[in-house]
Amino acid sequence: MKTYYDIAGDGGSNILDQVSAQRDAIERNLDRVDAIVAVGSGKGGVGKSTVTLQLSRAMAARGLSCAVLDADLNGPSQAHLAGLEGVPLLPGRSGLAMPRTSDGIGVVSLGSAIPVTRDLEFDSLAEGSSQTWRATREFTLFGELLATVEWGSLDVLLIDLPPGAERTFQFAEFLGPRATFVLVTVPSALSHGVVARSVAALHRAGSEILGFVNNMSGYYCADCDEVRPLFPVSREVELGIPLLGAVPFDPVLAECCDRGESSSGLESRPAVEELDRIAEAVLSKITIRPADTVASASLKEGVQP
Amino acid sequence: MKFLCTNCDTAMKLKDAVGPDRGSVALIYACDTCSTGFAMLTNPHETQAVTSLGINIGPSTDPEFAAALSKCPFNGMLQEMGVDMEASDGAHAPATAAANTLEWSPEAKSRLESIPAFVRPMAVDGIESYARDKGYQQIDEQVLDEVREHFVV
Repeated sequence: MKTYYDIAGDGGSNILDQVSAQRDAIERNLDRVDAIVAVGSGKGGVGKSTVTLQLSRAMAARGLSCAVLDADLNGPSQAHLAGLEGVPLLPGRSGLAMPRTSDGIGVVSLGSAIPVTRDLEFDSLAEGSSQTWRATREFTLFGELLATVEWGSLDVLLIDLPPGAERTFQFAEFLGPRATFVLVTVPSALSHGVVARSVAALHRAGSEILGFVNNMSGYYCADCDEVRPLFPVSREVELGIPLLGAVPFDPVLAECCDRGESSSGLESRPAVEELDRIAEAVLSKITIRPADTVASASLKEGVQP
Repeated sequence: MKFLCTNCDTAMKLKDAVGPDRGSVALIYACDTCSTGFAMLTNPHETQAVTSLGINIGPSTDPEFAAALSKCPFNGMLQEMGVDMEASDGAHAPATAAANTLEWSPEAKSRLESIPAFVRPMAVDGIESYARDKGYQQIDEQVLDEVREHFVV
C-alpha cells in the first residue's frame, strides 16, 4: 500500500499550496523592507510597546524610514501611543494604506480599528473550543497584515510582540531568519527570569537576539536631576545577551506617550537620550541595504508545512 | 491530508465540497481508477481549525461555498459595534438602489478587495461616513484617495 510520501499532490484540497502562496505574498510585500526587528520580552508590562515606538522615533530622527507593526492583536497599544486611535485602516493603491504619525512613522495596529472597550472576538463555527484554533487564526491575521500593508521602501520594520515566551518562539518561527530580536525587561529578578525563558526560546528557534533593554532601570527625578532606584536590581539571572541600554522611568515621557504625542522636545531628557543610544546600538547590529539590492534571506526558510 | 483507495491503491481526488451546514462541510472524494467514493464529514471544530489558516476548502469552482467559509472573521463583533455590515456587503456586490446605500465604482471595489477581509467592514464604514458627510453619491478612486488623505497623516 502506498504511503503519504508516495502520493504526489494532495488530491485537490490544495491546502499546502494555499499556505505557501500566503508566505509568498508576505515575502513579496516585504521585499523592500531592509530589516525586521521584533521587540519582545515574554513578560508583560515592561514597556515593550513604548520602547518599540521610541526606538522607531530615534531611528526616524536619523533619517531612516521606519514603521511599527503591532503584533499584540489582543492588547494593541501602538495606535494609542502613536496618537492614531480612531484612524481607520483604509485601502491604498494596492493594499492597506499605512497610517503615519505626525513625525512620519508608519504605525499599523488593530487599536486603530477596535475600541478599547472591546476584546478581539473572532466568529467561530465551533463555540467553546477557541483553544484549538485561536492561535492559528491570529497568526493568519498577522500574516494578512504583513502581506497587504503598503510598507513601501522601509529601512526598518519594528514589530511589537505580545507577551509570553511561547508566543515569542512562535513569532520567531513565523518570521524566520530575516527577523532579529530585541528583548525588554525591568530590573527585577522576576522579570529577568521570564525574559531568560524568551532568550532560551529564541535560541531554540535559531533567531538572532541583538540584545536586551533594561527598562525602568530607575526613576528620573527632574527636581534633583538624578536617577534613583525603582526596582530591586536582580543579580540572580544572567541573560547572556548584550545589554543595549538602561532606560530610566521618566514621568514626563510616560505622560507624553500616554497622550499619543511625539516626544519631540524631550531629546535632552536622560530616558530619551538613552533610547537614542539604544537605537544606535540596534542599527549598528543590523544591515540597512543599499536601495538597489534585493532580499537575500527568505521568510520561507521559516516555513514548516 | 491525503486519501488512498484501498481497493486499488490509487490516490483519491477531491470532487466536491458541500456546506457549510451548522459548521460541518462534506468533502466528497472519488477514486478515478475504480470509481470508489466517500464523503468526509467534518465537525465544526475541524472546519474551524482548517479555515483558521485563512484558506479555501474544496474546489475553488464554488465561490459561494468559499465565501461562506472565508467571510470577515469579526462579523459578529462588528455588528455588535454598530458597523453596517449590509453596507460592507454592498461594496462587494453590485450597487443597489436602496436608500442610503452608496454606489461603489468597480475600481474602488477592486481597491477595497485588496485589503484583508477583516478590515473591509471597518474601512467601508469610515469611507461611507466620510462620503455621506461630504454629500457624495458614489465612491470612486478619487474619493478613496481623499479619505486616505483625510485620515492617514
